[in-house]
Amino acid sequence: MRILPRLKAFARDGVPLHDLGSVRGVGSDAYDLVDGLPRGPARVAAWNAYVLQTYGDKLIAASETTERVAVDTAHVAGAAYQLAGMCLDCARQLATEGAEASLANVPDALPHWHTPIRSHEQLVGMRETLEALRIYAAFDLQTFPADDPSTVAMLELLAAVDADLATVDLLWIRRPPAELRGGIGDVLTRGLDKAFELGRLLADRRS
Amino acid sequence: MTGPSGDYWELYVSKTALPAWREGHAGERSDTQTYFDLLQLPFMIVSALWSSIVFPLLRVVALLPFAVVRGRRSRAVRIEAVNTFPTREVLLWTTTDGLVEGVLDDIVAGLAAGKVVQPVGAVYSGAQRD
Repeated sequence: MRILPRLKAFARDGVPLHDLGSVRGVGSDAYDLVDGLPRGPARVAAWNAYVLQTYGDKLIAASETTERVAVDTAHVAGAAYQLAGMCLDCARQLATEGAEASLANVPDALPHWHTPIRSHEQLVGMRETLEALRIYAAFDLQTFPADDPSTVAMLELLAAVDADLATVDLLWIRRPPAELRGGIGDVLTRGLDKAFELGRLLADRRS
Repeated sequence: MTGPSGDYWELYVSKTALPAWREGHAGERSDTQTYFDLLQLPFMIVSALWSSIVFPLLRVVALLPFAVVRGRRSRAVRIEAVNTFPTREVLLWTTTDGLVEGVLDDIVAGLAAGKVVQPVGAVYSGAQRD
């Protein structure tokens, strides 16, 4: 049992993890659904659900204890889970009803933080999310011809994500001060937005 | 080093972020107090000395060992560019010990060209003016 992280979580007024229990599993089907749908609006909604569910899960998994998470982590992860559920419903609707449903309620960005400095655990969760999205998008991109103009544009977006990950690697040290954590958080936020957009383009692309 | 417009920058590289000099508010007169009591003068002087010198100094002395230890345990390096004329201005970058030389070269080249650069291996925190 790790005593110190638990004491730190209590001292920081963390949120009990079971408070998120009702929303955590709402979008868990997103992991399978995104691969099973043809490219188009339904897959775009499923991709959004996949990204949001991954983000929430990685943020929670990166927390130091299994009982409590920091207040701002709980806020962002909870928002991500709720949006993932909405996107999943929309994806199912679009898959069954086709054009009658719309993407109007599907968010086009990840929930953002309300403070500028991220904790080490939050950075770990963001970094692992970005790596997961990068792997998914890079694998998906391989299925398209490399000389197609739209593929070239998406390869440039992937290169920008890689550059952000490389910057994070450069700055990643043990016990980073607040200034460094703030900078790493900004780079990861930009990278996540790019990976999110790249996945949406791929999900909507017709071959 | 000197920039193109003649502004002179001193560059400092350190692993320790010194505690900020924070003065208290004792000795300030409130807006509602309209008279000046001569008997209060010694107390006001002592109070002003306490809040502007003694207390900030004690605070810095108390926090300095923690700042030094924290700096030695971390691989983070602070680069400060200081310009004192016409007003004091401090630019702060934070990088890691493995990248500090390259980042420092970029910062020097940027300031020599009159630019505040943001090297890839560093985080620029902005300017602080007094």
